[in-house]
Amino acid sequence: MTATLFLEQVVNGIILGSMYALMGAGLALIYGTMRILNFAHGEFYMLGGFFVFFLFAQQHVHPVLAVVLSTAAVALIAALVQRLTVDILLKREGWAFSTIAVTLGVSVFLQNLALALWGERFQSVPYFVEGILQVGEFRLPWQRILILAVAVAVMATMAAVLRWTRFGWAVRATAQDPEAAAVVGVPARRIHTVTFALGAALAAVAAAMLAPVFAVNPWMGLPLIIKAFVVVVLGGLGSFPGAIVGGFLLGIVEAVGITLTSSEWRDVIAFGMMIAFLWVRPWGLFGVKER
Amino acid sequence: MLEVAGLDVKYGDVQVLWDISLTVGTGEVVAVMGPNGSGKSTILKAIIGLVRASAGRIALDGKPLAGVPTHAMAGEGVSLVLERRRLFPQMTVLENVRMGAFHPSARGRERERLEWVESLFPILRERRGQLAGRMSGGEQQMVAIARGLMSGPRLLMMDEPFLGLAPRIVGQIVDIIGRINAEGIAVLFNEQNVHLSFSNAHRGYLLESGRIVLEGAGLAMLEHEMVKRVYLGA
Repeated sequence: MTATLFLEQVVNGIILGSMYALMGAGLALIYGTMRILNFAHGEFYMLGGFFVFFLFAQQHVHPVLAVVLSTAAVALIAALVQRLTVDILLKREGWAFSTIAVTLGVSVFLQNLALALWGERFQSVPYFVEGILQVGEFRLPWQRILILAVAVAVMATMAAVLRWTRFGWAVRATAQDPEAAAVVGVPARRIHTVTFALGAALAAVAAAMLAPVFAVNPWMGLPLIIKAFVVVVLGGLGSFPGAIVGGFLLGIVEAVGITLTSSEWRDVIAFGMMIAFLWVRPWGLFGVKER
Repeated sequence: MLEVAGLDVKYGDVQVLWDISLTVGTGEVVAVMGPNGSGKSTILKAIIGLVRASAGRIALDGKPLAGVPTHAMAGEGVSLVLERRRLFPQMTVLENVRMGAFHPSARGRERERLEWVESLFPILRERRGQLAGRMSGGEQQMVAIARGLMSGPRLLMMDEPFLGLAPRIVGQIVDIIGRINAEGIAVLFNEQNVHLSFSNAHRGYLLESGRIVLEGAGLAMLEHEMVKRVYLGA
């Protein structure tokens, strides 16, 4: 393998990794605050893809506006889903399994809804920006650079919100001790709903950016949510920075790994890495070792 | 100021509190003493709404607190320092303390209250940037009390504030309770130790198996035959 090819693969890995990181970060945010695994996360991603397809590819809305509107729509739908399902179950005893069942149910429902609304055909979305960046032998489409830039900007904004704003403090406090947070005046229910919506919004951003690269279809969320689970395990369950680092790590290892083997090995590499992690460091990169 | 009357609490089918009635007057320090598992914590959790009462009445200055959600209690002037500190371990000392002023009613006076609690516990100013989870038990208790005071409560409740602390630290916390009370804040605390409970409170209640069996002035409680016989081995 030449140095240029290797470098190209690393860059591709970083770009793909930024998408894994976005997906994983949303999942980690939701798990961290509510202790639920959101199995419908891939379908919020899918809805984001279809909304961009509808607005940008069909209605020719400006791409920036299309991405913003799609993300906002997914966040609203997610907030509604949270209030109608998870919120009710969180109040009950022994809810851990029922939230898995209900988010799986939502996942199946949304897949079939998309199938009924848009059909099973793969729908393609044009690139937001045309052209290719060329430096010497090194070539990279501007669309991919845009994907990375948007992902980094969104994650940095989210990290800043968690670190510096009142809302962010409330999310972190609720995640670390819900009772103590309630006592100091944090309305946990509202925080849960908003966090769920924000997590889904991160998935929608990922979908909006990836829609021109992969095609849009009702099952597009499945491969991504599986990778998001891997990322969350790598980073440490519920850790936002862990999911981001885990996402980039997975992207790079996958991209380099498939050039050394072949693309059929992609999932083997991802899960092999996860199993190796569970073996030597089961609490993940940023998780806390439990005694 | 605080009136609890006929309070019953059940966890599922198991009743843990029976007909609890107690009061805390303005500016009073009141102790609830009882052995492990007698239901002390549950009384405080019921008052602040973390557990639901199946019967009874809880009122603050005549205003019923039933139906006020826990996250709104800071606005009513009620604060609770939970058992075993319960800090936010991944947040710094300063972030923990400032979280105590999260309720909208507390935001305007956050700065002056921060200054006050840091004068009560000077170590908090030195440790502002440290992660709360990495402090010793005594230091964590100071952060927890400081956090509880940041909402500017009229009633500060403390669930076993001396649990697991070295005697020197216990002395400091006792001293702090006195200083908090001197500011006109009423204090209601739980404790298992008879002396710690009743020698540091104006009035006290003795709780056994979820029922109040005795009440009286703090020092009188120490002299009571029943307390002496059962808890002091006299």
